[in-house]
Amino acid sequence: MKRNVVVVAIVVFVLGLLGLAGWANWQNRRQAAAAKLAQESQAVLIPDSATTGHMVSPMVGKPAPNFTLSTLSGKKVSLADYKGKAVQLNFWATWCAPCKIETPWLIELEKQYAPQGFEILGVSFDDLDKDDPKLLAKDKLEIAHGVEQLKIPYPVLLDGDSIAKAYGDTDVYPTSYFIDKSGMVVAASFGLTSKSDLEDNIRKAIGGNAGEGK
Amino acid sequence: MIRLAALPVSLALVFAAQTAQSSFGDLQSKPAAKPAAVSYLFPEQISVSADKPTAVELHFKVGDGLHVNSHTPHDRYLIPTTLKLPDTPGIRLTGVTFPAGTDFAFPSNPQEKLSVYTGEFVVRAEIAAVKGDHLVRATLHYQACNSATCMPPHDIPVAIDVIAE
Repeated sequence: MKRNVVVVAIVVFVLGLLGLAGWANWQNRRQAAAAKLAQESQAVLIPDSATTGHMVSPMVGKPAPNFTLSTLSGKKVSLADYKGKAVQLNFWATWCAPCKIETPWLIELEKQYAPQGFEILGVSFDDLDKDDPKLLAKDKLEIAHGVEQLKIPYPVLLDGDSIAKAYGDTDVYPTSYFIDKSGMVVAASFGLTSKSDLEDNIRKAIGGNAGEGK
Repeated sequence: MIRLAALPVSLALVFAAQTAQSSFGDLQSKPAAKPAAVSYLFPEQISVSADKPTAVELHFKVGDGLHVNSHTPHDRYLIPTTLKLPDTPGIRLTGVTFPAGTDFAFPSNPQEKLSVYTGEFVVRAEIAAVKGDHLVRATLHYQACNSATCMPPHDIPVAIDVIAE
């Protein structure tokens, strides 16, 4: 009787251990799958140049994820509102020096290509203190000053961080996604490139031809 | 009966132990974080006179090909490099002196000079501590860019054992 109790106890212990190991394996596989998914949706830095960070975006060739964000004046803007237009989503921040260099190019290009149905949406990645109304108001004021200083005529949307994940967790600025009139991402640019590079991507968006990220 | 059960039970135990060990080992290892643009080099431990402000040189290194804004960037929108020490019983940061930045301009806009740190830079902190051993957990706040892109502002820990005698 005593022997049977010992055997049963050992078997129960081993089964418990196996169960625990199985659970740990399942957790492990789940984490690995999540990590793989995150990696697949992220832009990949390719050190192909000493001076520019060119990346390949897996977003190109896919429908642009929809979102709704607020402008500085509080107006809600959805990407879906721009259906039928070629759109450049420009991710930027007031603290981003290269963003300031490309902004005048963007202003000129929007003006040039607006007759062909092209629009730019600026998306600010400046931090917002959402839990503190006073600090939030101050943050918005700072962004508004930045927009004014750069004389940005196109809408600037706040809280870019809230859509970053949908757009591949990009965390370098400036970053732009070029979306054609059917809502597909046809090109992406990461970092400060040149006005002609931006123009090439705008043309892809207007023409509706899928292109490569640059 | 026990002898009969012993072999399969032992094998199962070994298998379970190995599986559990490797599984939990993997669970504990977190995904590799992106390397920070700035790393804290030294010192990790200092000895100071108790209750007497003492200057400490904190050495940092900015990653190759990157720069961070100096403590006094030329543009009001650029984020300065700062050192913060949260309230720590028995220890105070009585002063911080940052080095002057060097000029940097993006190739597309050579006229506009930024004030930045590249390579190694040294922050001179003045620390006052009461007698005893203290662990200082300061943070360096910075915003880094390369010649074409910028990364969001970031904090790195600056941990120093302070022995006040």
